[in-house]
Amino acid sequence: MKDLSITVCGVKFPNPFMLSSSVVSNTAEMIARAFDAGFGGVSFKGIGGPSIEIINPAPRMHSYNLGSKKLVGLQNVEQTTDRPLKDNVQDVKWLKKHYPKNPVMVNIMGFNKEEWKYLALTFEDAGADMLELNFSCPHMSVEGSGMKVGQAFKLVRDFTEIVKKNVKIPVFAKLTSNVTDITEPAMYAKEGGADGITAINTVRGVIGVNIDNFVPYPNVFGKGAISGYSGPGIKPISLKCIVELAKKKELGLPLAGCGGIETWIDAVEFLLSGASLVQMTTSIVKYGHRLVEDLIEGLSFYMEEKGFKKVEDMVGKALPNYYETKDFDLSRQGAAKFDLDRCIGCGLCYIACQDAGGQCIEWDAEKRRPIPDEEKCYSCMICSFVCPVDNPPLITFKEIKGKKVYTPPPSKL
Amino acid sequence: MLKEGKKVKPKGQDYFQIEKPYTLSQAIIEADRCLLCYDSPCSKACPAETDPGRFIKKLRLRNLKGAAKTIKENNILGGICGLVCPVDKLCEEACLATGIDRAINIGKLQRFLVEYSWDIGFNPLNKKENKNVNVAIIGSGPAGLTCAGELAKEGYNVTIFEKNEKPGGILRYGIPPYKLNDEFLDREIKDILDLGVKIKTNYEFKGKGSIEKLLNDGFNAVFISTGLQNPYRLKIPGSNSKNVFTYNEFLWKINDGKVNEVSKEIKNKNIAIIGGGSVAMDVGITCKKLNANNVYCISLESMEDLPSDRQDLHKAIDHHIAIKPQSQVKEIITKNGKVVGVKGNEIKLLKKGDFSPSNIKDIEGTDFSFNVDYVIFAIGYGVDPKIKEYLPTVKFDEKGHIMVNKSYETSVKGIFAGGEIVTGPGLVVNAVKDGKNAAKSIIKFLNK
Repeated sequence: MKDLSITVCGVKFPNPFMLSSSVVSNTAEMIARAFDAGFGGVSFKGIGGPSIEIINPAPRMHSYNLGSKKLVGLQNVEQTTDRPLKDNVQDVKWLKKHYPKNPVMVNIMGFNKEEWKYLALTFEDAGADMLELNFSCPHMSVEGSGMKVGQAFKLVRDFTEIVKKNVKIPVFAKLTSNVTDITEPAMYAKEGGADGITAINTVRGVIGVNIDNFVPYPNVFGKGAISGYSGPGIKPISLKCIVELAKKKELGLPLAGCGGIETWIDAVEFLLSGASLVQMTTSIVKYGHRLVEDLIEGLSFYMEEKGFKKVEDMVGKALPNYYETKDFDLSRQGAAKFDLDRCIGCGLCYIACQDAGGQCIEWDAEKRRPIPDEEKCYSCMICSFVCPVDNPPLITFKEIKGKKVYTPPPSKL
Repeated sequence: MLKEGKKVKPKGQDYFQIEKPYTLSQAIIEADRCLLCYDSPCSKACPAETDPGRFIKKLRLRNLKGAAKTIKENNILGGICGLVCPVDKLCEEACLATGIDRAINIGKLQRFLVEYSWDIGFNPLNKKENKNVNVAIIGSGPAGLTCAGELAKEGYNVTIFEKNEKPGGILRYGIPPYKLNDEFLDREIKDILDLGVKIKTNYEFKGKGSIEKLLNDGFNAVFISTGLQNPYRLKIPGSNSKNVFTYNEFLWKINDGKVNEVSKEIKNKNIAIIGGGSVAMDVGITCKKLNANNVYCISLESMEDLPSDRQDLHKAIDHHIAIKPQSQVKEIITKNGKVVGVKGNEIKLLKKGDFSPSNIKDIEGTDFSFNVDYVIFAIGYGVDPKIKEYLPTVKFDEKGHIMVNKSYETSVKGIFAGGEIVTGPGLVVNAVKDGKNAAKSIIKFLNK
């Protein structure tokens, strides 16, 4: 097996796979089992300031299903930990004693300036390898905390500064995507002295409403709330945030990617797009710790295949290929190419092209085969997205030299 | 309606239990596999135009009531068809999901949606304003029930005349309960009765022209859907002995509340079934479920040409029924008038598919004999000639089937016919098609 270790801010992780700060990192006992299964590190479940007692709502989560696929997304209204501070301190100490090689990052959220300092010092003392400042929980019941801080950029700087002034261990700021441009609060965090950025926390969302009683999910005794949405459904958003942060030259901080990572391929995408660490929760809710075996093996085989010696070598490898749309070469055009020998005759490409595409596919009803017209095809490629014949796909994009973009003629009305 | 509880159940057996239905979750998983093809081949393959392509799409998009509505509006016996249709020769054979995986379990989805609508108390069938026009239907098999339902929806007064104690015809008496039990059948018939259809059971026509006379008796049209009630018997030595039955006599007893009696009789006995069609398999499986010992299905056809539906054949093999293909039974051996065995030999057909005696050649050295206690014929069935007496002016063809034109009209104005009495032996779903299309013709006729 490959050496998957990566050193971030001087802290060595046996591999880049971490539990994110959430239900999955609630106790030392759970985290120990995750380490045993192969996870590299943990961001210990968010610990709020001791000034306010946290009582979690019931129920706290709801699943977003798509067809027969369960848990495409997860909605939660969980707050910071409801465990007493001393229990969490004891847990961190125990973890550091028994799992010295697995870095423990502790996610903290002060409810005032003093608490940020107090929590930071407490967990540095307990042996935490890193701190993660929670500026991003989108559904805190405590006024002026979580995402509210992450949206008031100066507070991000101020609270980071307080923490940084008091501890020596590296400090990550965990940011929310519920802002116009995530690089803005990131720059404030840097100003406050942050050593790295974790992105993102859950996205503010609503997975649905019960159409019988009109209450949004999760139904907390007749009340719903816009709250944190996570899982594969948010991966495009979290990946985008990592790219934006990684491409921001003035920032230049290591990144921990978080949001919708399930497979080693997801993880590789995050690493290639600039993350040095990847954190996950919803995929563990869905599959349990055992998924890390496949993350480790998958990443190892990939690195072997691609000739990467260290995980570090992969980080940001895809960044040069991210452009603005204005940079595209519009002189080059193409069309959908059909491998009709493998066609099973379902006609889904025809429906898609007629009702949502360029109407460049005709239908041979007798043979049950599409008749594509490359000339008229404007390569939206939706035909290939609905085609059930895959691996390799039956419909692929090919460049046609000298082809002009086809635009539909005036409507015959 | 009568429920299965009134029948005597043999202890410790689930003989009257039909296959477990899908749960909602299972149905959703199955519907997710559907490709939702353009111009759905499955829909084109359904004789009754039940339109699976459309109802599966509706299920996929969580329009469950709409899905049930599609089924029941297109095929008022959609639940039953979901249970008894040889789907692997119809919709599922046409399914293009086989191109990447395996066919969608369309029959099971169809049945699920119908039962689901029953469970939630949703009835998609609406009745138009009463037209005060009376139609008589003779026979309450699938063709008659469907025609009745279609007419009743349009506001016609429909009376079905049924000679047996309970409605359903072949659905009740010709299909073993493990495939379609009384409870399910009664529930689907209820949908038709709820439309206002009246059924006169235990009704016997008497005397010449008694059906034709209905036209003078206040009925504006008559639909004949009596089906076929004359099971064939081979004329071979011993075929009239004790313990030689037709499939019809056997299944009738089973379906008429005499399972215990039959069960006691055939327990640990050996049985030879002559025939290789789905009915032969039905009978064989029934015998095995009732604890018969060795069950043989002896068929003239080769294994490849066995007329049985594949599902039935597989089920028969699962029940350890021995299939003896390309074989002819020449004699039923008896001792003191009782069956003790069958004798025969393997055969060859000079011309493929032709089973006339001159085309069958014995293969030397292949003589066989089985020790059996019962022989059951499942070699097809034909017209009960008595029907002609009640329809003296209606024209019949040389096989004894009623002759109709494309609009299901007989040679007598106002009298229509459909189902097996017209087509000869066929599938339930084809009878449904006939009932449905005949209803359209009858409405056209009545509106002239």
